[in-house]
Amino acid sequence: MNLKHRIASIMVCGALLSPAWMAMGDTPPPATAPAAAPAANTSPASGNAADAPAPPAPDAPSGELKTLDQEVQGLKKDVVDLNKDLFVLQEELLFPANTQVALYISMDVGTFFALDAVTVKIDNKEVKNYLYTAREADALLKGGVQQIYLGNLKVGKHELVAFFTGKGPVERDYKRGASINFDKGVGAKYLELKITDRVPKHQPEFLIKDWE
Amino acid sequence: MRRTLSVGSLILSATLAASSIAAAPTIVGKDAPDFVLRGLDGRNLRLSEFRGQVVLVNFWTRSDGDSRQQMPALDRINITYQRAGLVVLGVSVDDDLRRSKEFAAAMGVSYPILFDTGSQIGKDYMLQKMPMTILVDRAGVVRYSAVGFKRGDERVYLDQIRELLRE
Repeated sequence: MNLKHRIASIMVCGALLSPAWMAMGDTPPPATAPAAAPAANTSPASGNAADAPAPPAPDAPSGELKTLDQEVQGLKKDVVDLNKDLFVLQEELLFPANTQVALYISMDVGTFFALDAVTVKIDNKEVKNYLYTAREADALLKGGVQQIYLGNLKVGKHELVAFFTGKGPVERDYKRGASINFDKGVGAKYLELKITDRVPKHQPEFLIKDWE
Repeated sequence: MRRTLSVGSLILSATLAASSIAAAPTIVGKDAPDFVLRGLDGRNLRLSEFRGQVVLVNFWTRSDGDSRQQMPALDRINITYQRAGLVVLGVSVDDDLRRSKEFAAAMGVSYPILFDTGSQIGKDYMLQKMPMTILVDRAGVVRYSAVGFKRGDERVYLDQIRELLRE
């Protein structure tokens, strides 16, 4: 599906969903709703008895509630899907694949290094300076991979330098750099900053991996 | 004629009111811009990590007399209300980082003091006069903003804090 079709479909979805949301509200039906529903249904009809609806089955209100809940859940899912599509679309528009460069960071073990900050330079220009909170560093230690930078680069040769600041072995201030020369082709470029432990030397190791 | 004059005066007053509003932009009612800053103890703190708690952010400068008066008052508020879910963050916007750190250490407040060495946060929060105090609710929305400090202002902060903590 091309970009125009996707934009059109997302707009149509949004237009269809918005009145439904306005009518239903954002909150799910309250748990006390069934108590009111039977009372309304079982009240004596003031008009013609023949026109009055048949008394509902005992499980009808809960069934209606279930249907309503399913509808709400369905709408919520549609909104989440729509949001996902919009996010992907935004990424495609802002960072087209032919110029896209994405940089990720991961950390393995981390016995010899407590990450505090990362500074990234591409072609000698600072593109990112990221301070890590204890919670974020902990998430990396638990196996998380963070997208630290997403940008655009022209096709050709480039140099990336990353500086890592933190606490090294024996709680000493530690600053190290790593660099890589890479070729940006017509497709997206993915690079990974890897912090690992070099156990024999009791030192951390900083690598930059080029994901082809 | 009289009618034309009254309509004209109405338009003029509306224009003046609009210009005075435009002259004092505020971030009240908007999502608090996120930031991460290094603290006096060397730890980095990110505002969005306190989502779910009421956060009082106090922007201050060393050279400002009001900031010096305000910090002990905020310290008392922090000691009393931190168990109830209040987080107080002091943010120094001084250019001289070294002297700012010395000042913060000398004040000896119990809440974290962070140091802003860039200019982005000032722009995001539309900082004007120092000190500036903002209150962020549990959902991360700026609910109150106060510029300057005079004795007795802490009672206003307390009313607002209690209201947000009750939500």
